Amino acid sequence: MRKFSNTYIYVYVSALVLLISVVLASVSIGLRPKRDANVTREKYQQILKAAGYKDISKKNVVSFFQEIAEPEMGNEPSEQYRIRCADGNSGIVVRVNGKGLWGPIWGYVVLSEDGTTIKGVSFAHKSETPGLGAKITDDEFSNAFIGKKLYNQNGAFTSVRVIKKGQEGDIREENRVDAISGATITSRGVDEMMRGVKRD
Amino acid sequence: MKKYLGPLSKDNPILVQTLGVCSALAVTAQLKPAVVMALSVTVVCAFSNLIISLIRNTIPPRIRIIVQLLIVSFWVVLVDLLLQAYFYEISKLLSVFVGLIITNCIIMGRLEAFALSHKPWPSFMDGVMNGVGYGLVLVVVAFFRELLGSGTLWNHQVIPKALYQIGYLNNGLMILPPMALILVGVMIWIRGSRVDR
Repeated sequence: MRKFSNTYIYVYVSALVLLISVVLASVSIGLRPKRDANVTREKYQQILKAAGYKDISKKNVVSFFQEIAEPEMGNEPSEQYRIRCADGNSGIVVRVNGKGLWGPIWGYVVLSEDGTTIKGVSFAHKSETPGLGAKITDDEFSNAFIGKKLYNQNGAFTSVRVIKKGQEGDIREENRVDAISGATITSRGVDEMMRGVKRD
Repeated sequence: MKKYLGPLSKDNPILVQTLGVCSALAVTAQLKPAVVMALSVTVVCAFSNLIISLIRNTIPPRIRIIVQLLIVSFWVVLVDLLLQAYFYEISKLLSVFVGLIITNCIIMGRLEAFALSHKPWPSFMDGVMNGVGYGLVLVVVAFFRELLGSGTLWNHQVIPKALYQIGYLNNGLMILPPMALILVGVMIWIRGSRVDR
């Protein structure tokens, strides 16, 4: 077998590492605009979905969003928008953030103008289990939120709770949705995240 | 061509060598991520094999594992970046599992056992075939898990709604990882029973 000196080994590894990092760094920088555009488009798509728009073709998402939505004044960092919903009325878009089982979960909630009723939601996640926690992105789950109330019969803020069947207690139908079976932690994450829904 | 077909059955990385089982359990709850994962592993395995084979005579044996890891990581990061730029939805679907391809024993195993001692073209083919062999198992497992666990295939409802109304239920256990292990076990059993020992 060929002998390799220590110097050879050091130079070999250093050169290899340098080469690989330069290539990867350039690819990463080169693709960044595309990646950022994907992220923005996805965000707009998510908000449009929460606002009740179905089947917006991918190409039009950004221009359509800018046409019907505008950031609310004075709330630059909080990502609150005023949007014309699919039903013709205007709504307020609020962003929520939370923790799932494996990583962050987040979503956009469209509230009625007075901030008491949910007009639509759409959730997203970084790494929830496909078929279980990842179901929070399904229409079946998000549609359950439509029309739910953030305040209880006494006018106190309760948000919309996400609760397992059979554990509803005395929480009204209008203040809760069913949790996803098999995804206890993710459902609890959505439950906690929804407590942060409030108009600024 | 025939000499490359071993990984599809006789030397299947999952069923015979029981490598890469971990990711086979993680990404097979639905067909789509399973297929993309299989493609990604195939690409990484084939090109890592190719590169290692090309530079095999320059690699000092004492640090060969480190060099292999570097090359594998390079391809994995590259695949991840490309997925994020051009197949954004799918890259989200796979999330962390793409990064974890680095730790997939199949790839390191093929580099050690094959690419270090073979010419570039056979090494490349070996990588492709091992990726395909791995992918076949993933697709079969994912097919049954998605069909019986969610009643869908490739996110399309295939079990008719009428069936649910007369009391049919999706099998919740199917979407949990233990069921994937049982399915892989059943596949190993079926394969083993058909082979002469």
